[in-house]
Amino acid sequence: MPDIRLEDVHKHYDGIKAADGLDFSVKDGEYVCLLGPTGAGKTTALRIIAGLIDPDSGRVLFDGEDVTAVEPEDRRAVLLSQTYSLFPQMTVAENILFGPIIRNWPEEARNKTLANMLDMVRLTRRSDAYPRELSGGMQQRTALARALASGAQVLLLDEPLRALDARLRISLRHDLRSLAKSLKITTIHVTHDQDEALVMADRIAVIRNGRVLQMDTPMEVFDRPVSPFVANFVGQSNFFQGSVVRANGNVEVRDEQGRAVFARAMEVEMGEKVVVGIKVGNTEITKEWEGYLQGVVERILFEGRNLFIDVMVSGLGRFSSRMPAGKKGEFAVGDKVSIRWAPDKATVFTMRDRSLDDELRVE
Amino acid sequence: MPEVVMKNITMRWGNVIAADDVNLKIQDGEYVTILGPSGCGKTTLVRIIAGILEQTEGEVYIDGKSMANIPTEERDIGYVFQNIALFPHLDVIGNVSYGPRVRSVDKTDWEKISHKYLELVKLLDKMEMFPSELCGGEQQKVSLARALSTGARLLLLDEPLSALDARVRVDLRYDLRRLVKSLGLTTLHVTHDQEEAMSVSDRIVLMRSGKIIESDTPENVYMHPKSIFAANFIGETNLLEGVVKSVDEVSTTVELRDGSLIDAPPTNVNNGDPVVVSVRPENVFPAAAGLHAVVSSVTFVGTYLRVMTEADSDDRVEFDVPTTSEREYNKGDDVHLTLDKRSAIVYARTPGGIGEATRLE
Repeated sequence: MPDIRLEDVHKHYDGIKAADGLDFSVKDGEYVCLLGPTGAGKTTALRIIAGLIDPDSGRVLFDGEDVTAVEPEDRRAVLLSQTYSLFPQMTVAENILFGPIIRNWPEEARNKTLANMLDMVRLTRRSDAYPRELSGGMQQRTALARALASGAQVLLLDEPLRALDARLRISLRHDLRSLAKSLKITTIHVTHDQDEALVMADRIAVIRNGRVLQMDTPMEVFDRPVSPFVANFVGQSNFFQGSVVRANGNVEVRDEQGRAVFARAMEVEMGEKVVVGIKVGNTEITKEWEGYLQGVVERILFEGRNLFIDVMVSGLGRFSSRMPAGKKGEFAVGDKVSIRWAPDKATVFTMRDRSLDDELRVE
Repeated sequence: MPEVVMKNITMRWGNVIAADDVNLKIQDGEYVTILGPSGCGKTTLVRIIAGILEQTEGEVYIDGKSMANIPTEERDIGYVFQNIALFPHLDVIGNVSYGPRVRSVDKTDWEKISHKYLELVKLLDKMEMFPSELCGGEQQKVSLARALSTGARLLLLDEPLSALDARVRVDLRYDLRRLVKSLGLTTLHVTHDQEEAMSVSDRIVLMRSGKIIESDTPENVYMHPKSIFAANFIGETNLLEGVVKSVDEVSTTVELRDGSLIDAPPTNVNNGDPVVVSVRPENVFPAAAGLHAVVSSVTFVGTYLRVMTEADSDDRVEFDVPTTSEREYNKGDDVHLTLDKRSAIVYARTPGGIGEATRLE
């Protein structure tokens, strides 16, 4: 199965940079999620790989071979859209057999493929049903089987779970990944849902404004984000702005009021203006007077597995903490609390030209 | 202030029953979410309250007054849909002031009203922009301001966040609840997203196949679900199959298929009954002894790792470990698991087993 490489790919539409120097590789058999907000250029990237959009410049390589000028049907890649586009007048079996039939496969091979595909997506008993008679999840599986029946070696998924109910989406994440992995197929999956990307991907490419900001394992992207945007888009983060007062080992950052916080060791200059980012799930609140910042509990939300607590820190604004629901009862609205975190979970970012609000904007 | 009562509401479409003798009371100022999978009948209920659909049987009362023969526009309702339906030819202020102007409120008044709601959704600075110039989250905030500017005290939200990006959705949930609570509105919010329901509601009404199967605070629905369906639908859970070995005032002991025993709080079941034990992943812990299982996969979920295992009892059991855990878990590892007894719930096995009990579509 092929590995895929994009080399400095550009695509502009009327001044909008849908792809602005995309440059990344996907390994043979890897499951990669392209994650980003609406309009980031995720779907453009996917359609360029599929051959449905020609880039203005740059190259697309499959197994080292330049396919930029190769027609979509000759690329061994199949794109599955959000809306599935099943043929409404054909049954599940006819939809799945569409590719093999137009490719003139011998009947025996067709039948074998059909049986395998139906078994794989657990639709053997519904093979004679029409799409409108199927639930959303079944339609999605039919579309997947149809895509794979043609012998595609690269699976390109454009928001494959978006049209489904939230609970079903969570159940299907695991199934979809297992299926792709068991077929050893190279998969590129576009999503705006960071939870989906975290649990499904071998690696995540975070995309914004047509550029890849970070491409790494879910753990790296979550724990070691490269920018405040990534820190806040992949899991929510709290931010603290100040200047570096200690750069040896854990970095100490202090603001003008003298409040100081710590973050993991990074290369920064003394006196440099920086932002410290910490995930809400790694932000602890305590009643001991020992944390970095002091505040008052403003709101406590029960989320099921977790509690989500907002703390108002005077002069700094709201800091949030997500903690196991077992801690319920330890805190009440109005409590004076202290905020702290393990320094190795916090990251220091150099302040760019733009403001933090602009950096964090998700739409 | 509005209080909504639905009495014996049934809605039939030919042979399909979209609402099956539904009784529901929403208190003045309450934020209620109707939660359920696609096709459970949740949107039907909201449309009946709005007067867009007429029920086959039953009666709707708003503030004690029957809504029979009262058209939608006289029910004093603000309605926000999933598909953002702003007037594309009007700017933001034009959209938000539409209701007050139709009601021929004079200009100084409708300006004041529109400004008030635009300020509440933090879009005053964009009031001269057109919908197409706004992003999805902002458009939906304008829809909300427009729904409220009519002065409606009852707000109906039909999947208001579903069309938005996941990250935007999470931010808007908090804004939404803050806003309607500050205005003291009675709100009925329809969603298929259990996380959303959990974070915005005073009360969650869970529906399945046209029936209300649960109606309680988010906390009670999560901690003490009354059915296997609810346990699985609202949050994730492990479901283990077994037979009741003994039951008394202190505990219920269940024998799993490999002969191992697990303890749960006392339940209304009898010795020998086939049962399903529900225990959430955060309440399962690796231990020196206990149910033996083999790790099948480990997934990074942000602040914790989700470990999936195949237990000797033939059940799939998942548990969470902090990312800071000293012990590493890899596929093929042997583990022993214990369950937090207090949080386990025993349900009588229903026909069709776990598959039917948890079916989502």
